[in-house]
Amino acid sequence: MALLRWRRQGFGSPFSELERMRDYMDNVYSYLANGVNQLRKNYTGVFPLINLFEDDENLYLVAELAGVESQSLDVSVKNDTLTLKGSKLTQIDREGVTYHRRERESGSFNRSLTIPAKIESERVQAVFKNGVLTVTLPKAAEAKAHQIEVKNF
Amino acid sequence: MTVESQSQELNPREKRPLDLKGAESTSGEPRFSPLVDIWESDECLTVVADMPGVAADGLSVNLHENVLTILGKVAEESQGRKLLSQEFETGDYYRQFALSELIDQAKIKASMKDGVLILTLPKQAPAQPRKIEVVSE
Repeated sequence: MALLRWRRQGFGSPFSELERMRDYMDNVYSYLANGVNQLRKNYTGVFPLINLFEDDENLYLVAELAGVESQSLDVSVKNDTLTLKGSKLTQIDREGVTYHRRERESGSFNRSLTIPAKIESERVQAVFKNGVLTVTLPKAAEAKAHQIEVKNF
Repeated sequence: MTVESQSQELNPREKRPLDLKGAESTSGEPRFSPLVDIWESDECLTVVADMPGVAADGLSVNLHENVLTILGKVAEESQGRKLLSQEFETGDYYRQFALSELIDQAKIKASMKDGVLILTLPKQAPAQPRKIEVVSE
């Protein structure tokens, strides 16, 4: 939500009308942006698409990477940034064959994202199974939920 | 690490929802149509399908009256975890192809690696023409 700007009433500034128009346009744009976000969820437009999960102990990052060679996969964590790199090779031109469908794509990817909580970067684990990469990020002690006892006097 | 000629960057693509041509699915779970490469040589037809999340035991391939059906069931592993942000949906994969060639069913081979199904369908040797003698009575 945009903060409301305090404005002096009565003393007409030559810019007040422009300010009012600008605020109005800001409202229009934020409304449009929300509409698009609702439509596309959290779609970022960067490969691979990522789902984030959490439980009490860990954060889990899940990405679908069918056909990516596990040797080419590179997962790294630096401070609060996690980077996924890799490549997928499907377009091998085979001799003497006729293609009926070519829907799968080849190429490389490189995506970074900010980890939304403090984690223990030394204990991060990455598992690639059935074309799905799951990175388990253990939460640091200060990021875990603490039960606070309510004392009754 | 990477192949040098491979400079192209991959683009994210939303999964293609399954189009059942008017028939509704009875379960509310999303189902997707996997992306495939299909090529044909003199000896066989090869189908390669991207089905991330499908293990070998969750896959079923069926050839019945020249219709090839691929069904991949995704094992759900996110139980007990809270979803923080979602960019893709998970669900089973299903796709059918009508084959124009006769396939030697006994020699079909399927392998599953890193979420990619490779299906080899050897063509049947053309039937020998058999001359049928017409007996005139």
